[in-house]
Amino acid sequence: MFSRLLLLFLFSWTWGTLAATPSHEQIVGDFFNKNGASGGSTSNHTNNWAVLVCSSRYWFNYRHMANALGMYRTVKRLGIPDSNIILMLADDAACNARNRFPGSVYANPGRGLDLYGDNIEVDYRGYEVTVENFIRVLTGRMEPSVPRSKRLLSDASSNIFVYMTGHGGNEFLKFQDNEEISAFDIADAFEQMWQKKRYNEIFFMIDTCQANTMYSKFYSPNILATGSSKLDQNSYSYENDNDLGISVIDRFTHYVLEFMERINKTSHESMADLFAYYDPVKIHSDPGVRSDLFRRPLSEVRITDFLGGVAQVEVGEGVPVDTAAVGEDQWPLQGESPAVPPVLPVAENTQERVGDLGGGWRGMRAWGGVLLIGGLVGWVGFRS
Amino acid sequence: MKLSLDLSVVFPALVASRLLLALTNLPDALKHDHQLSSPLTSYLNLQEGIYLFKNGIDPYSGGIFRHSPLFLALFTTILPTSRTVASVIWTLCDAVGAWALVQIWRARQRVSQTSRDGLIAGAYLLNPYIFLSTLSLSTSPFENMLTLIAVMFAAQGNASPSLLAAALLLHLSLSSVVLLAPLILLLASSPVSQLASPRAFAKNGKNVAPLVAEFAAYAAILSLASTLVSGGWAWVPQTWGASLTLPDLTPNCGLWWYFFTEMFDHFRPFFLMVFSIHLLIYIAPVCIKFQYDPLYATFILLGILATFKPYPTMADPGLFLSMLAVFPEIYPYLRYPIVTTLLHLHAALLMPLFHHLWLNQGTANANFFYASTLVFACANGAALTDCVWAGLRIAIGEPQDGYVVVQE
Repeated sequence: MFSRLLLLFLFSWTWGTLAATPSHEQIVGDFFNKNGASGGSTSNHTNNWAVLVCSSRYWFNYRHMANALGMYRTVKRLGIPDSNIILMLADDAACNARNRFPGSVYANPGRGLDLYGDNIEVDYRGYEVTVENFIRVLTGRMEPSVPRSKRLLSDASSNIFVYMTGHGGNEFLKFQDNEEISAFDIADAFEQMWQKKRYNEIFFMIDTCQANTMYSKFYSPNILATGSSKLDQNSYSYENDNDLGISVIDRFTHYVLEFMERINKTSHESMADLFAYYDPVKIHSDPGVRSDLFRRPLSEVRITDFLGGVAQVEVGEGVPVDTAAVGEDQWPLQGESPAVPPVLPVAENTQERVGDLGGGWRGMRAWGGVLLIGGLVGWVGFRS
Repeated sequence: MKLSLDLSVVFPALVASRLLLALTNLPDALKHDHQLSSPLTSYLNLQEGIYLFKNGIDPYSGGIFRHSPLFLALFTTILPTSRTVASVIWTLCDAVGAWALVQIWRARQRVSQTSRDGLIAGAYLLNPYIFLSTLSLSTSPFENMLTLIAVMFAAQGNASPSLLAAALLLHLSLSSVVLLAPLILLLASSPVSQLASPRAFAKNGKNVAPLVAEFAAYAAILSLASTLVSGGWAWVPQTWGASLTLPDLTPNCGLWWYFFTEMFDHFRPFFLMVFSIHLLIYIAPVCIKFQYDPLYATFILLGILATFKPYPTMADPGLFLSMLAVFPEIYPYLRYPIVTTLLHLHAALLMPLFHHLWLNQGTANANFFYASTLVFACANGAALTDCVWAGLRIAIGEPQDGYVVVQE
């Protein structure tokens, strides 16, 4: 009887201990979720990437160029650097012979904001925007000679924003008038990325006709997708500009950008707010959202988790302010003495010479020489 | 027809007109010219060196400043460094040179005044080689002035001033050591023209050795002054060494630069030696041959210096040609003066043209300019050989009918 009690006690004690000990995965998960619990965002990414693709070319597809450039500007404004953005554009609108405002691309009638400017970095331009290059970018399978600026160097804790725009249809997207990419291709590419741990979460946005069909084939986890129109629906352009003579932006992207204008780096707006902002009456089509592959609730997913370059800040305890880790990209600013430029010695050369005592003696030396010459001349003149 | 060439009229007029020219902005256009100034004499380098010196940086630590430290001493103490004052100083320098040339002529003729004085002054001041060099503010007019002063004092028999001027000249230009021998010979004899009656060297009572020693003493004291001014011995390889090692291959009107641009490093020391010794080998023959007229030997050696100097400017052959005015006795015996004149005209017109085409316009290459410097050397050589011939021919006398003078 006593031995049974002992056995029961031992068993319960062992089981209790085992149950109370957190597993390794739990420890790691707790570590990564620590900030989420305190900060309000449940994301556990450490860096952000954006892949923005405009798959059309030619002047009459100006609005697709403006779509992509508008997204590019927003993404940059919210903090993702050029080194983390892959921008694929045909880039034939700004310097087109038909462009009445050369070197500029505008996204609203009335031409309020020039999206082209002189500070954009297009990674794949012109005929480089191909299906093959797009898939190579996503999967990372490239020639060794491809430069870093053209690579998606993401890792297992990267959040990637993939935006595509152009002419599309039922489960396909047209690339530059001579090839197509299908929804299956993109789904397989994302699965390759998941297998190779190339992303933490993906936010996929697409603005084409019948756009929602493009995300219908995804099967990898942690992908949130949204599109501008459902099957058998067209996506429409927004408005023409009277001086350019063509439509300058698409409706879906226009309203998304309108929502984004209210966002800055510190905003707490969530994806749920964005999707609630969709108005099918204004957009003239039914935008869709696919969140079944996404594990977090949409109200907890911030816009800046995908469109911003916000890094998590961890303030340690008990350390002086000047040595606290203030983020991945910032150097400690306070606590150091201001950098004093080294004082360059002007008379350095003369200091090294033997017998030269510096600038004060220089005038005396010159006068000494002159007096010597003058003395010689005077003596010779006196003698003769 | 008598030309009024009174010196007291001509000289001020010429100097005044030169002063007016110098005070225009013509010097700004000319100071970059490669024929009128060399790396050793360029006004821009002088300005740079004085600026560095005034700001405490050793001007001899770079490769730009190759003037003597005596210039540094003068221009940072007693001579101001403004452009107008520089123009005035350079013009005065030329005026002194012209006056010295007139004195040389007078000493040779053993009179205190002649009717040709104005012509001599004009021959110096109106020579375009000389006045363009002065306008370009290169320091070669200083060298000319010191040469003429040295020769003037030697012609007048004043040993010490002559040797002091020669020592100063040595500090400005190492190649002028070539002129030391005829100068000392001139001091030891007389300047009077003996070309028509050659004889052995006639000493006038002065001994040669003390003169050489005096010259060496003056040169040493000036070297010490230079070392004091520049605070070290770096000036020696930068100034004198430049004539021997030719570090700067900027194009000029001489013969050395092109040769050494295409010289392999392996052969460079040998050919530098050859070219330097080439200058020295003329001293003995010319002095021996013209031992009865050391002034003429000086004149010939000036011409040789002008042709074969490492860094000549146009002022050097200019001095030679102007000094020709002091020897009118050889004019009837010059064989091809017109050829020489035309060669000089040819070269003087082509050199700036080809220089511009090569370096400014880019449609020519270095060979064009080099060819024109070869023509210039030809012109100088033609003048030299003609003067040597005439100087010797004059001893044989007037040409007579039925006889012809040949060289065996």
